[in-house]
Amino acid sequence: MSAIAFITERYEARSSPVHVADARAKLLGAFGFIIAVTFTAEGAWLALALSAVPLVIVTFAAHLTPMFVVRRSFLALPFVAVALPLIFTRPGETLFTVPLTGWTGSREGIEAVATIMARSWIAVLAAVLLTATTPIVELLRGLRSLGVPRLLVATVSFTYRYFYVIGDEATRMMRARDSRSAALPGYRSGGSIRWRASVLGHMVGSLFVRSLERSERVYAAMQSRGFAGEPRFLDQPSLRPPEAVAAALLVGYAFAVQALAHGWLT
Amino acid sequence: MLAIQPVPVLEAVEGPALHIPDGFMSGPVAAVGWVITVAVLAVAVRMADRTLSDRAVPLMGVMAAFIFAAQMMNFPVAGGTSGHMLGGALAAILLGPWAAIIVMTAVVGLQAVLFQDGGIAVMGLNILNMGILTALVGWGVYRAVLTFEGMGSAVRLVGAFAAAWISVEVAALATTFQLALSDTSPLDVALPAMVGVHALIGVGEGLITAAALAFVVATRPDLVNQPVVAEG
Repeated sequence: MSAIAFITERYEARSSPVHVADARAKLLGAFGFIIAVTFTAEGAWLALALSAVPLVIVTFAAHLTPMFVVRRSFLALPFVAVALPLIFTRPGETLFTVPLTGWTGSREGIEAVATIMARSWIAVLAAVLLTATTPIVELLRGLRSLGVPRLLVATVSFTYRYFYVIGDEATRMMRARDSRSAALPGYRSGGSIRWRASVLGHMVGSLFVRSLERSERVYAAMQSRGFAGEPRFLDQPSLRPPEAVAAALLVGYAFAVQALAHGWLT
Repeated sequence: MLAIQPVPVLEAVEGPALHIPDGFMSGPVAAVGWVITVAVLAVAVRMADRTLSDRAVPLMGVMAAFIFAAQMMNFPVAGGTSGHMLGGALAAILLGPWAAIIVMTAVVGLQAVLFQDGGIAVMGLNILNMGILTALVGWGVYRAVLTFEGMGSAVRLVGAFAAAWISVEVAALATTFQLALSDTSPLDVALPAMVGVHALIGVGEGLITAAALAFVVATRPDLVNQPVVAEG
């Protein structure tokens, strides 16, 4: 197994009703759910908690452990920094003052940041569940039958397939660079940042030429197997009603929670 | 005193902080992002289909895998941080703007699905910022600088550096304004911070892009003098 495969294989094989469900139902369900969660108002804690309920149900229905899903969801966290200034800029009741700077943190600001983080986390959990229960090939086939252009879906599926090849090529180049860059403990190796960037640039250029030449060989191989310019996809059987209903229920529930929280109905 | 180093393995590294996760953008801003992205992608797909014909899929697929891998190759900067590239400008310089947009779309889309690096509902914005804007701006700047090609062969590399630097800055600006419109990040604090940080990140992008182009010019000049993909 390629070294790259360990970090990019997101599918967790289980035999569960969630895993065997139609990729289109899962795609539409997850997409609609995430859009609904985007509408959560600041400080609507009950709505956030209610939105998380389906995720717990799906996790157990898919025979995954909460620990696994939560561990995978932490990848998106560093972005939180961009929202932090809101604590100090949002006007409202002052909760604390940062010594020396005189910045004041407001209750409204903290609520805003906490809501953004929670919304984001719930969306990431939904995406984690989608990719852990659906192989990429199924997702792409689902996207195609939902009307995404053939050229785009075919390109993405080639990207996924050749990422392992090109990624391993890149790993070998990095290993070669590390082997050339010996350093005694405590001493810095290598030249200026500019020099290091240009070393990497040359590696990228070399990888480009190798990739381009590989794409020409791939194209020739496809032609010799009879590729006539039309990427083909297997037909999808029509969506099974129970799965379509389950997806609709998920999205409907998520929007109903928002509607109640915002008072759209009253 | 030789210590056995762990085998280097590519990993999902933190790069320019531009992969917006879900939850950070308001519904309307995310929706506008989708509308623009879908419209531009429709044009790009048509252009790539016409100029590349049946070569399109293997070429762009493998090229997207290349950009994906190139984004994971890094170089040490200082204090444990490392630099790497976004690649939109390089893709546009080498492949032309339309193919570059499709290539970057494949990269951004897969990153969101494989690594949850960038959200699903906001994918329209992420493709717009990191794929469409970087490719179009990078291409535009590079072509503009190339009009001075008579002044020597270094002009090409200056053009690549400027194209990459400006493309990262524009992507950062767009992200900042979208965050401000969504009321997620106050503009007066975020704008100088994002523009400042990405001015530095952009230098790294520019250096890598120019060096990569220099390598391609030296080894396969045919690819650079006649772009792999003809202009629309």
